[in-house]
Amino acid sequence: MSPRGPGVPRRFRNWIFFWTPVSWLALEMITYPKDRPITSGFGHIIGGFIAPTVANYPAVMTGAIAICLTAVGAVGALRNAKQRRSYSTLLVMAILFWVWTLVTGDLSQFSLRGQHTTVGWLFQTIAILLAAVVAWLWAAGSPERVELTVWNTRQMWKLFRGNWQGMAGLYILLFFAAVALFAPFLADHAKLDPNSYVGKPFSPPAAGFYMWLGTDRMGQSVLAEFIWSARISLVVGLLATVISTILGAGIGIIAGFYGGWIGEIWMRITDAFLVIPWLPLAMVIASIWGKNFWMIILIIGLTSWPGTARVVRSDVLRVRELQFVERAKAIGSSNSHIMNKHIMPNVFPLIFANTILVVAIAILSETTLSFLGLGDPFNFSWGTMLQYCWDSGASGLWWWLLPPGIAIVLVVVAFTFMGTAFDEILDPKLRKREESGGDNRFAKSPDVAIPVGPMGAVVITDGLDTGHPTFGHSDDKGDPQ
Amino acid sequence: MDKRRYFLKKIANAVLTLLLVASFNFFLFRILPGDPARLLLPRNKMNKDQYDKQRKLFSLDKPKWQQFIYYWRDMAEGHFGFSFAEKRPVTQVIGERVMPTVMLVGFGTIIATVVGMIMGVFAGWRRNGVYDVVSTNMGMVMYAMPTFWFGLLCIMLFSTKLRWFPARGMTEAGSNVHGLALVKSVAWHITLPVFTFAIEYIGEYQLIMRSSLTGVVKEDFVLTARAKGLSDNAVLWKHTVPNAMLPTVTLVMMNLGFIMSGAILTETVFSWPGLGLLSYTSMQSLDYPVMQGVFLLASVAVIVANLLADFSYYYLDPRVKA
Repeated sequence: MSPRGPGVPRRFRNWIFFWTPVSWLALEMITYPKDRPITSGFGHIIGGFIAPTVANYPAVMTGAIAICLTAVGAVGALRNAKQRRSYSTLLVMAILFWVWTLVTGDLSQFSLRGQHTTVGWLFQTIAILLAAVVAWLWAAGSPERVELTVWNTRQMWKLFRGNWQGMAGLYILLFFAAVALFAPFLADHAKLDPNSYVGKPFSPPAAGFYMWLGTDRMGQSVLAEFIWSARISLVVGLLATVISTILGAGIGIIAGFYGGWIGEIWMRITDAFLVIPWLPLAMVIASIWGKNFWMIILIIGLTSWPGTARVVRSDVLRVRELQFVERAKAIGSSNSHIMNKHIMPNVFPLIFANTILVVAIAILSETTLSFLGLGDPFNFSWGTMLQYCWDSGASGLWWWLLPPGIAIVLVVVAFTFMGTAFDEILDPKLRKREESGGDNRFAKSPDVAIPVGPMGAVVITDGLDTGHPTFGHSDDKGDPQ
Repeated sequence: MDKRRYFLKKIANAVLTLLLVASFNFFLFRILPGDPARLLLPRNKMNKDQYDKQRKLFSLDKPKWQQFIYYWRDMAEGHFGFSFAEKRPVTQVIGERVMPTVMLVGFGTIIATVVGMIMGVFAGWRRNGVYDVVSTNMGMVMYAMPTFWFGLLCIMLFSTKLRWFPARGMTEAGSNVHGLALVKSVAWHITLPVFTFAIEYIGEYQLIMRSSLTGVVKEDFVLTARAKGLSDNAVLWKHTVPNAMLPTVTLVMMNLGFIMSGAILTETVFSWPGLGLLSYTSMQSLDYPVMQGVFLLASVAVIVANLLADFSYYYLDPRVKA
């Protein structure tokens, strides 16, 4: 353990230096991917990250973030005395996002779909700096928590590294993430313009970067489309998964924890959603609501949560019988406290493993919807490419048909591999215990819930109400039934 | 649990879910943004007169709760509206599309179940062997493959390049054959769609069978069978496989409910004139009554399939009876 006290652990300092650029990249990737005039040259490579057009989020998005930040910050600042400084910084960040929303939405004629392209990068930079400050204050407030997070992450990584499927998945994913992230530097976005062509229509691959994968029916570069499609496909998949996981995990935890008629009602709703065939439903909704980037995300998110809810609920039913929940009840903890601090951390590994699998399904769903012509007509995704290929009626264009399909298969397989790898790591029954080594804490008591979380997840339960940290629950050995 | 109570409970659950889904269907087309009268009329043919007539016809001038009652009454009487595109009752339009889908899905499911299960059995029996690693990863790829993409590949290879099989339709366009020639022609056309459809599910069934078999192999009775000196084949096929079948059979039964939505992509790519293609074309022509009917039918199929799966569970799994 690191020295206690107000100082920031040294390892965490590196962590901040690592996560700040990573979150920058993540923001950059989630950026609504249109209007990105990046040409060439070193200056533009640097400029890619701070170019004025990078941060043109619609006001809906900044507004949503502002609401979330305000709520989390206010609740945290009021209830959590220890972390008041970091929550106050969150509130400052919330103010920033409110201003951003107002600027983006254009005060005089406020519209939720407005985008502001010139000042956005300034807001984005300040937001990331503030996020780093929040992380720093949080780390300074509870160094032991940070230590545990870092340590847990390391243990996870050690186990993950030994799983060849997981590692293969990770490498594939890193490759496509890099393609998506660096799309502006790999291919000129202007090449996607319907008026720009690089060769004759339907010409097979030839020399020259933009001709590597030939051309489509309008003579546009298939390679450029392929590279920019990676963005939409991955981003839609990830964002839809966020919606689906929040809904599924929330409903699963509530249904499992309360049981009785409340749980029964939620499970009936889940069952009803489970039997509604998602593809016809998505087709109906998309044709009524219209086709655009955000709608697709919403539709996939709203139709894919029941599976998660069921899985989470069954795990919650197990966890709530464990002794530390009973103990928390006995000393009078509120239901929401128990759910947040005791149930949630213990079902988190399952939620995490499930989330990765949901990403795979979401990406496949996006492809399917795009192929049926329900995708965003203004952006290319792998599914849209396949739809255009199919629509053009010409068959035998392997250079147009193969790349998007292979990419989808690889990405989905990668996510599935990683999901199963995490399943094996996190499920003590599946993991071969003799292989995992002597210093492995997870192998000790298979019947006890494992409070590990990857990458900064909530990994320990708050010790406030018991007077000591309940991390690990290692004294809860054995089956309570 | 006693038999009657188990069955009644499952039926009651199914009916309850059915009511929920049917109500959802009502609200889906009426609560969503957009005027149903406008949605229910073809886009370009609209004037005030017709609009009012339409509103009266569908009782849209009445309050919502009354509409809700009318909706149920109509359904009970078997009225599902008229298709815009074909100017016929929806029931008729849907009715003639059922057979091709059942055919496609039936053959596809049989092939997928048999092949997937056998592949899964061998993979699970010699876990982590060469065959297991190869076939399991192949299964994952099959599972990850978008159906329509595989269909397009099949068309590219088998009908454009090699010219073995036709790429679209159920019979030759404009042909008028009967009897054996018709059967032959349909069989000719159905090959690629069935193959595509089966590939989608083989991976899934194989993975389920494998994981279920790996669990069963560790059970005590398998060890006993081995200790008795039974041959490997006897242990596998007489003692292990029957016990490992349960999850796979359940999955197959439940998937049967999703056949229609599963067939949408295959049918669209191959222009197979079934329910899936109908839902695609009705979506493109914004034929809302047909969409509504197809959606309801798809949901009912899932509920019925789940019910059947529950029933079969009762007979297959002795633990339920206890």
